[in-house]
Amino acid sequence: MESIRLEIDGKFVEAQEGMTILQAARGAGIDIPTLCYDERLAPYGACRLCTVEITKDNRTRLVASCVYLVEEGLVVETNSERVSKIRKMLLELLLPLAPTGPLESLARKYGLEGSRLTAEQTSCVLCGLCVRYCAEIKKANAIGFIGRGIDREVAFLPEVAPKVCASCRECFAICPGGKLASETDGVRFPISIWQSKQELR
Amino acid sequence: MSEEQIQILSRLQQNSNLSKSDILLRGLEILGEYYSLGLDQPPLSLELRNLEAAAMHHAEALRQIRKKEEAIKQVIQELGSVDKAIDKYRGSKSALIQILLDIQAQNHWLSKPALMWVSERLGVPWSQIYYIATFYKAFSLTPRGRHIIQVCLGTACQVRGAPRLLDKVMHVLKIKPGETDQEQRFTLTTVNCLGCCALGPVVVVDGNYYSRPSLEETKQIAASYE
Amino acid sequence: MARLSSPADLEKLRQEILSQRDPDRLCVTICSGTGCQCHRSEKVVDAFVHEIEKLGLQGRVDLRCTGCHGFCERGPIVVIFPQQICYLGVDTKDVSEIVSQTLIGNKLVKRLLYKDVETGQHVAYENEIPFYKNQKRIVFGSNQLIDPKRIDDYITLGGYFALDKALFEMGRDKVLQVVEDANLRGRGGGGFPAGIKWETTRNAPGEPKYVIVNADEGDPGAYMDRSLLEGNPHSVLEGLIIGAYAIGSHEGFIYVRQEYPLAVQNITIALEQAREYGLLGANILGSGFDFDVQIHRGAGAFVSGESSALMTAIEGRVGEPRPKYIRTAVSGIEGKPSTLNNVETWANVPLIINNGADWYRSIGTEGSKGTKIFSLVGKVNNTGLVEVPMGTTLREIIFDIGGGIPNGKKFKTVQTGGPSGGCIPESLLDMPVDFDKLTTVGSMMGSGGMIVMDEDTCMVDVARYFTDFLTQESCGKCVPCREGLRQTLNILKNICDGRGKEGDIELLEEISEVMKDASLCALGATAPNPVLSTIKYFRDEYEAHIQKKRCPAKVCRELITYYILPERCQACLICARNCPTGAITGGKHLIHVIDQEKCTKCGICFEVCPSRFNAVVKLSGEPVPPPVPRITKHILLVEDEVIFRESLRDWLTEGGYQVTTTGDGEEALKVIRGQEFDTIILDLKLPGKDGIEVLKEAKGQKPSLKAIIITAYPSPETATEAMKAGAIDYLIKPFNPETLERVIAGVPEAKPEVTPETNER
Repeated sequence: MESIRLEIDGKFVEAQEGMTILQAARGAGIDIPTLCYDERLAPYGACRLCTVEITKDNRTRLVASCVYLVEEGLVVETNSERVSKIRKMLLELLLPLAPTGPLESLARKYGLEGSRLTAEQTSCVLCGLCVRYCAEIKKANAIGFIGRGIDREVAFLPEVAPKVCASCRECFAICPGGKLASETDGVRFPISIWQSKQELR
Repeated sequence: MSEEQIQILSRLQQNSNLSKSDILLRGLEILGEYYSLGLDQPPLSLELRNLEAAAMHHAEALRQIRKKEEAIKQVIQELGSVDKAIDKYRGSKSALIQILLDIQAQNHWLSKPALMWVSERLGVPWSQIYYIATFYKAFSLTPRGRHIIQVCLGTACQVRGAPRLLDKVMHVLKIKPGETDQEQRFTLTTVNCLGCCALGPVVVVDGNYYSRPSLEETKQIAASYE
Repeated sequence: MARLSSPADLEKLRQEILSQRDPDRLCVTICSGTGCQCHRSEKVVDAFVHEIEKLGLQGRVDLRCTGCHGFCERGPIVVIFPQQICYLGVDTKDVSEIVSQTLIGNKLVKRLLYKDVETGQHVAYENEIPFYKNQKRIVFGSNQLIDPKRIDDYITLGGYFALDKALFEMGRDKVLQVVEDANLRGRGGGGFPAGIKWETTRNAPGEPKYVIVNADEGDPGAYMDRSLLEGNPHSVLEGLIIGAYAIGSHEGFIYVRQEYPLAVQNITIALEQAREYGLLGANILGSGFDFDVQIHRGAGAFVSGESSALMTAIEGRVGEPRPKYIRTAVSGIEGKPSTLNNVETWANVPLIINNGADWYRSIGTEGSKGTKIFSLVGKVNNTGLVEVPMGTTLREIIFDIGGGIPNGKKFKTVQTGGPSGGCIPESLLDMPVDFDKLTTVGSMMGSGGMIVMDEDTCMVDVARYFTDFLTQESCGKCVPCREGLRQTLNILKNICDGRGKEGDIELLEEISEVMKDASLCALGATAPNPVLSTIKYFRDEYEAHIQKKRCPAKVCRELITYYILPERCQACLICARNCPTGAITGGKHLIHVIDQEKCTKCGICFEVCPSRFNAVVKLSGEPVPPPVPRITKHILLVEDEVIFRESLRDWLTEGGYQVTTTGDGEEALKVIRGQEFDTIILDLKLPGKDGIEVLKEAKGQKPSLKAIIITAYPSPETATEAMKAGAIDYLIKPFNPETLERVIAGVPEAKPEVTPETNER
């Protein structure tokens, strides 16, 4: 395994080939905030909170650190003004969906008191952690995404969930928005997802 | 037996020309086969029950099927069309979207039994099938009308007054985009550009294009489709 | 069809086909692209078949259904060879005349020819029509010469000669070199050099390698790829095979959107025919090179046209984009090296191989070589597909080729690049169009969609429209795009509905910035472009919506009201009958009024009011004038001529007034004392007391009485006397009853006499 040297926030960091910037940073004690990342799961790159500024060959751009692989000589800034601004805006966009919990404390850390924007409070930020956990770790595929765009939702699939979820419920702990715990008491699951918003509309 | 049960039995006998003992014997044969195939034990028993529930739901969605055996026959027919589509693509998992397109084209919707069957035969998780079915606009999880009316809302048509045309169509059909009328004659949808911008604004019915219809012409167009 | 197992076979086949075709033989070609089919071109084809058979001309005249000609505004298009006489807008009832006049009689049917708007001259030949003359149709031009369902047509034009040359004369390295030297850049919008992409895939580790045609064309208003794939599928296929050869790929995909059924059909036929001839499949033309293609249909998602999403869809998963830090050219379908190019890009390849890189470089600008096909649509006279060298200016495309803006309206802006692009104002019309120039002004060339907009377009509505489109099409995976679009759409809708607030524009700009910087794919990153470019060039419209609740272009429904101008209304009842909510009141002689409470702003009244009246107008940001008060209810008509009196009474009664009549002045005064009247219509020449006397006494009795004098014997003196005595108007017989109506209604400006005409649409 080749060793790769890169610079993160002015600090020289040694990393292994095949590691992502996020992994390298955390390994060196530098924290980058994330929402949709879990080290047990393949990185997803959806929340974009882990965005960092990288410079290579005199070109600077913004990338998601949880999916960008380390490169020799890369210069990374994890909390520049530009990055900070982005994170603040992302949190402002997410807060209306899940105003309490981990998002709230993260928002305060970035100087955000509340959000100027409004949206339906679904308690779900669509980070996909539950879906991916159930697919990759439990291999049960009992919870999944349905729909696309702003109509995207996460739902327990009644064709599968009633058989496997009551005795598992491991996805509850991983949910940052609070939707899973609030919606099911762990015993009852939606009888028919076929009556989803799609159909009723 | 109760009065009701006697009535049901006599009706059954009338319909099938079988005597009561014929029916009972037939039932025993079917039961024998049922047990020998292992259909009374999980997991098959659960899956069979799932398919039965899906068939009943299917019947409800189609609004026409009244009897259980009709529903099951309908579903078996539909599963046949699914098999045909899957065989056309040689059971390839990467052809999943193509298979679903074929099923949608043939049946005018993706019913639950059909999707369960695809999941079963291709070995693709139910969650992936359901996600694909809800992600793409070409698929409908509810039965569509016999004729699809599409009003183009592409930019060129928009600039030429497509929203007014949509108003006219809604006025004539009395339904909103995404809805099917009560007789299941039409399903109204909007499309983001059909690519015949010179004719805008355009409404398409079953692949027939109508350019800039007036209110009167719109009424005539709707009346010409049964 | 015999399989071709060598270049010599191909050449022999071409000679065979050519020898069987007589270039001087009459051939009627009819455009059968989707556009002309909307105009029922297939019925025109049937009519020709029928007519030719009827007259026994089958031996002398051929018939060919071709691909799209591009002049879509004027379809169905019929071109007669060998002269290349071009007839536009042909209908089934024109067919017998064309056959007898042109085919048999060798004469032109003038009314079907193109007529120059300025000179009035007719143009007989297709390539002399200004629309075509100003283009350079090196890629698209072949469409009109071939039947896309017949591979032989393509072969007679020299088709598959480039493939032959590539396989047998040039070899893989030379092919790659030539494409790189020519600087062919991707026509799908990205503009990435195709040669470099091919080389990357070729050198990347991993087998198998894939080549892909992206025919998912999703930009609303763009249909170039559809017409190419429908009209000349072999040009795309030939380019694909050459590319696959250079790269070392043996498996290809053509990803077509399912909304293009004719394109799917024609490319399927093309693949079958190519396979039969051994031009596709194993051992192509006996070269030892194997390559075959699968068609993969899209299922209705714009985002799946993004390259990484497209490849994910081909894998059978949901077509969502992936982070593209490792290029798909290196790691694409199932992690294997995959080169994806647009339909038009592939179609350029045979031309480059046949004519060389130097020839290709001689066309276009420094950075952008070759031509580009644009779909010129919207508020433009000559809507259609236009192919010009890179570097042609917007003005040339829109005005010289496009013929400018219809209906005498003023150009406002042109939207280029679809939902990823922006709008370009009039001041920048002389900008040359290529990959690099338009991005400097906040837009992009994109895949070639060019939507022209005039003064009746609201730019805030345009931004809202594109944002709405993208909101529906976003996959929803990443936060900046999904939530950014949700909020942007919300704000824009509020602005269009009159609920905009101070600070909205700045908020839009903030959200746009995070979308540009942090989105996962290009859909999110370019989504703010329509919003930002309209704010840049049309900020005043945004401000009018927000601050004054006014839509200057009078488009946004919540900010406009429909109003019938009383002075123009001819009371024809057309609008009232067509109003879907019954919001218009009025009668045959009563000025129509829209009840704003009931009005749903559908605009039907505006559309149906006959253009010579133009009585319905749109107001925005100003209060609706109160309806002309109907204070006249009871009229006293004093006229001694019986027939005239009765007919005038009937006419007024029909108009909803209560009318009392008398033929005598004294009688009239008696009646006024006994009943309530608000208006008196007084004839001057009466038996007994004359009109002026009666007027004076009546006004004396009831000063508020409205008096209108009518007479057949006008004189300035009596007119002055009457007005002095208190008449509000003085009408000379014969007068138009509608003028009388207006006077009664108290409308200040009476329009000059207009004879009531029959209602037409």
